[in-house]
Order: sequence, then C-alpha cells, then structure tokens
Amino acid sequence: MKPDQRSFRIALLADRFVNPPPGELDGLAVAARAGWGVMQLPAADYPAQIAGRILAEVAEQLEEFSRHGYDFVVVGECGGLPAALGAVGLPVPDQIMPSTAQELLGLLKARPAPPGSSWPGLA
Amino acid sequence: MAERGTRPSIGRSYAHGMGVAFVAHCLLNQNSKVGDGAHCAGVYSPVVDVLRDAGWRIEQMPCPELAFTGLNRFWAVREQLDTAAYRKHCRRLALTVADMISVRVQQGEDIVLIGVEGSPSMGVRITSSDPARGGLPEWPEGTSELTSGEGIFVEELRRELGSRGIAAGTSGETHALPDHDEAAQRARISAALDGR
Repeated sequence: MKPDQRSFRIALLADRFVNPPPGELDGLAVAARAGWGVMQLPAADYPAQIAGRILAEVAEQLEEFSRHGYDFVVVGECGGLPAALGAVGLPVPDQIMPSTAQELLGLLKARPAPPGSSWPGLA
Repeated sequence: MAERGTRPSIGRSYAHGMGVAFVAHCLLNQNSKVGDGAHCAGVYSPVVDVLRDAGWRIEQMPCPELAFTGLNRFWAVREQLDTAAYRKHCRRLALTVADMISVRVQQGEDIVLIGVEGSPSMGVRITSSDPARGGLPEWPEGTSELTSGEGIFVEELRRELGSRGIAAGTSGETHALPDHDEAAQRARISAALDGR
C-alpha cells in the first residue's frame, strides 16, 4: 500500500479563495501547491443561521485535528469563526490576508512542521 | 507535499452560472482520511481540476466520519457505522448541507454531489459492506467489501433533498477502487456535470 501522504496542515480558506472571481488569488491552487489541506469557510451569501451551522461543523472537525497536533492557518476573513471556535474551546489560528499567490505560498511553506506529523499510527 | 501532476489549474476560476459541486470533505482535505488513506498531502486535484475546468463552483461538505469516530478510527464497512447514533449524526449534517443546496437551487444553480466511491459514508455508487466484520481489527488484504450502493451520509442527504424536491447529479472519486483510472474518473465526473 502507498504510504499515507497527509501533510498535517490545514488552511481554513474564506470562500473567495476557494471560488475566486476571475483574476483574483486562487487560494485553493496555492494550498495544493504547498501541500496543505483546505477547510472551506461559508460563503458570504449564506443566511446567518446557515452560516452559523456550517461554522459549528467546521469547529467540531477542527477540534479533532487540534487534539492530534495538526497546524492551521486562516486565510481571509470570516466573521463568525472566532465565536464558533470559542464554543469548542479553540483559539483563532494565525490569520493571513495575502494579496498574491507568492505571498500565500511563502507563508504556508514557512510554517514549522506540526507536532502531529510524527503520528505513529501511520504505516 | 503535493504530488506532481495533482495541482489545481491556476487561473481557471469559478465562472458563475455553471453550477455548484458539493464535494466530499476529503477531496479538499486529505488530512481527514482514515489512517493510511491519504492519497496526497492535502487537495486531491484530479477532481478539483475537472470541476474548475468546467467552471463549476466548489462547496465542501463536512466529513461525517471525522467528527464522529475521530482521526484514529479504523477502516470500516457500512455495517460497523450503521447505528442509530451515526444515522442521527449524518442527518444533522445532511440537514445543513441540504439547506446550503436549497440556497443554491433557489439561485438557479444546478447541483452535483461528488462523493468517494468505496466509502461506507460517502460512496455514491460503490460503498463497502461486510456483515461479518468486527472484533479484533485483522482481516486479509483485499477489497471484497466493495459493493454497489450509497454510503450512509449520501443516503441521508439524498433522502433530505428528495423530501425537498431537489434532484442532484452524483459522481464519485474512485481512487480507492482496484480498477481506478484517472482518465475514466475524469470522464465520469465530466459526464455528471454535463448531464445537469
């Protein structure tokens, strides 16, 4: 079996970096190039009640990653995120507002290896 | 780090009006996979590329197994997960996803669900089944558990969408299947998008 290739790194991307308007920064492509997984934050056009439930699910999953030493960054802005994370006892991760793909790539690649990357459970 | 040849197509951005693909969580985040199941570092680009090339918007569904059984879960078949508690968990998630889909349908968007073939939760046409599996987690290497059918979350989501009169196309990533072929995977996903 091919070894597990996970990176133990997750970028929480504002929707505009997952579905960028033409000509704007494609955060999903940059995350892929840097070897980071992506958790998408809710689009701004969702009603607040739906966005709140999406964020609650994001927070619940992030709590599981957090307990296993994964690294996170938030890329862009999402108003309800601090409250959702706070509800599961998590602080807001480092947040970046990149203006270019190179800037984002550099920031992601400069992060130190997360503690979870020595997980002995992998073959 | 990311595998060569699996990067999304930079510059091929979402073009409004082509539709919205609701994708399995792990297609954007392989870190959510069961141990020894991550095919690449993070973003599984062979599927993202198809969606981007076709101009579809991408929305990520939650991983039902991650929040319920955690990162240290064992590989499992449907029968091991098909409990009242897991069904309840999946229905909760499916309600939120169905609400998201309803918003997009009201905006006039076509919808496609992209799952993970072979998954007990996210399978679209192929799931995994073995009524005898349980106990000490040792069994011969093989794929005999693969069988036709949907995973539990996809079942719950399609039931909820059906109750709302919403029809969504479906397709699945096939990396875990023994006959996986990337070109065939791309063709099947493209066909699902074209069929909307």
